[in-house]
Amino acid sequence: MMNFLNAGASGKRFVILGFDGMDPAVVLRLIKRGEMPNMKRLSDRGVFTMMESSLPPQSPVAWGTFIAGADPGVTGIFDFIHRNPENYTPMFSQSETQPGKWVVKLGKYHVPLKPGKVILNREGRAFWDYLQDRDIEATIFKVPTNYPPSASGQRTLAGLGTPDILGTYGIYTLYTADVNESQQELPATNVYYAYVDENNVMEGQIDGPKNDLVVPEDPYAEPEAVIVPFKVYVDFTHRTARIDVQGHEVLLAEGEYSRWVEIDFPLIPMVQSLTGMVKFYLLQAESKDKFRLYITPVQISPAHPALPVSTPGSYSADLAKQVGLFHTLGLPADTKALSNNTFSMENYIVQSNSILAESKKLLDYELHRFLGRKQGLLFFYFSSLDQGQHMFWALNDPQHPYYHPDEAKRHGYITEEYYREADRIVGRVQKALPRDAALLVMSDHGFAPFRRQLNVNSWLAKEGYLALSAGSLAAGASIYDQADWGRSRAYALGLNGFYLNLSGREGQGIVTAAQKRPLLEEIKAKLEAITDPKSGEKVIRTAYISEDHFSKNWIQRAPDIILGFERGYRINDDSALGVLSAEVVEDNLSWWSGDHLMDPRRVPASFLSSFAINRDVPRLKDVAPTILRYFGIDTPSQMNGTSLI
Amino acid sequence: MSAKVKISKESAQKAEAIIAFQGYASLEEMVEDLIQKEYDKIKAGDNKEELAKKLSGLGYIS
Repeated sequence: MMNFLNAGASGKRFVILGFDGMDPAVVLRLIKRGEMPNMKRLSDRGVFTMMESSLPPQSPVAWGTFIAGADPGVTGIFDFIHRNPENYTPMFSQSETQPGKWVVKLGKYHVPLKPGKVILNREGRAFWDYLQDRDIEATIFKVPTNYPPSASGQRTLAGLGTPDILGTYGIYTLYTADVNESQQELPATNVYYAYVDENNVMEGQIDGPKNDLVVPEDPYAEPEAVIVPFKVYVDFTHRTARIDVQGHEVLLAEGEYSRWVEIDFPLIPMVQSLTGMVKFYLLQAESKDKFRLYITPVQISPAHPALPVSTPGSYSADLAKQVGLFHTLGLPADTKALSNNTFSMENYIVQSNSILAESKKLLDYELHRFLGRKQGLLFFYFSSLDQGQHMFWALNDPQHPYYHPDEAKRHGYITEEYYREADRIVGRVQKALPRDAALLVMSDHGFAPFRRQLNVNSWLAKEGYLALSAGSLAAGASIYDQADWGRSRAYALGLNGFYLNLSGREGQGIVTAAQKRPLLEEIKAKLEAITDPKSGEKVIRTAYISEDHFSKNWIQRAPDIILGFERGYRINDDSALGVLSAEVVEDNLSWWSGDHLMDPRRVPASFLSSFAINRDVPRLKDVAPTILRYFGIDTPSQMNGTSLI
Repeated sequence: MSAKVKISKESAQKAEAIIAFQGYASLEEMVEDLIQKEYDKIKAGDNKEELAKKLSGLGYIS
């Protein structure tokens, strides 16, 4: 077994492969079956164990903990979604966009003298900056919770949290000749009717960002989106299509997924435009009324980034030059398209495999560059396991309310295949690395079934903590329409927690400082006593009172209670945005059937290393101090994890 | 549109301090900027459907 500390002061190299959502129980099962030989080899050489995730075990929270070597109280990221206490508005936790300042009017255009910018809300210094202090090079590839990438002299590429060019987290476009499908109200989607004319030509548009540089005639009107037209020439005989867009020509057969195509959205013609990129997926080209074309969310082009995605700024363009365009959206596989039934399982798998292939190509390139150095760190992130398990869990879970035996027969193999693919990636890296280089394969959390969902706002209303102006629960109503804040003591927003309506903090808070702790204790006890009316099972393992578990630095952003769900349960996704449902606990009838928004003790992460460690169960926050120790750097005071070596 | 407003001496002193501290070039620039910020806050508060649409792309929310 390798001992780091005996290695020489120079020639130290460390590779970390981050597989989001890799579950240690699945890894163990496949190792025992002999289906993960490379992970087995790694664990024989060093360690394979479960690792304590963050509280809550959500990816932005967990990877933030990894980056800072400290709990979320230090990073200030407690959930995918935080809220503005002044007006109870939900907001994305990781970053925020600040509009341009000091606008001048030039003809029909508004020109900001100080352009808008995106701010990273993650606090605490990243471990790679401590390496930079010692002139140790690091490449940090797509680590989540680093969009926009924090200022650094290291090579970093933003990962989860990176939006599309519209500033959303993935809104796709569907053109369909099915009238019923075209009239569906689907979330996170632009759906258009596909009219194919007598010459078998369809005209469409790609929706770009809203152009707030144009002075609107009506000062109260929303700025209009910039649109880019395209034409599709369809050959129904051969089930093929040619797509013409801005001089690009894309030829596709039915079922084929295109290369990336860069699109320029003109904001001020000839002066300013934004570049994005899309892929086209010809889902169906059977006849005029059986035609469907999918277009990915308009992603930021790494070659011409409209928003910052890397440090140095030129890094993403250099990569694109070397290996071609690649996905930049934080969660690149279109899980929403599968949930909405726009994609079949096969369609989703095609897209997911394409993403994985891009990632492997990028890894090969970065690994080659890394091996040319005598010292340094390479972190490389993969999202496919996480996204795949979210969508495929029910295929292997007959107890799941969304279990489909036919789909299970056809695609039940896929989750384990993703694990075997992860193992092959580990094998490639092991083969390339010299023996004295350290290798860590890790995840941020494990996985579990998501069978039933709790609407926390509905529960709070039924228990009398959330007062509704209408007096009774109405499914689909929102706390913004229904809550009587002057009589409400608590409300839920986000994916793992809820807030007291605290006087002096919330805009219309009523709970006094003296009432706070007794109320938290009272609600905690009630939450932990909730049972599922269908099965009698306990729904919440532990309700964690935040002030008992987090460092104080940024605790003002934290929910007052973090819900540690039992396996099988999760927060209702409506509740996360303040929407009520008639039933407090409901079935989850969605392909999004696996999850990890549970008690961290129920979904531990994976830790496999080529070296021995000094704890039986390492913690995610211990990894950064371990990296620094490997390179001879003492744990900085900011970090409350401890070195594992 | 341009408008003249009267403010107290105390508020004028505070405005001068804000201008110096925040680096505004003039009182007009400061007022324009603060109005914009307040307007953005209102828009954000009234625009929850738009926010929900943005967040729904995360997959965790339907």
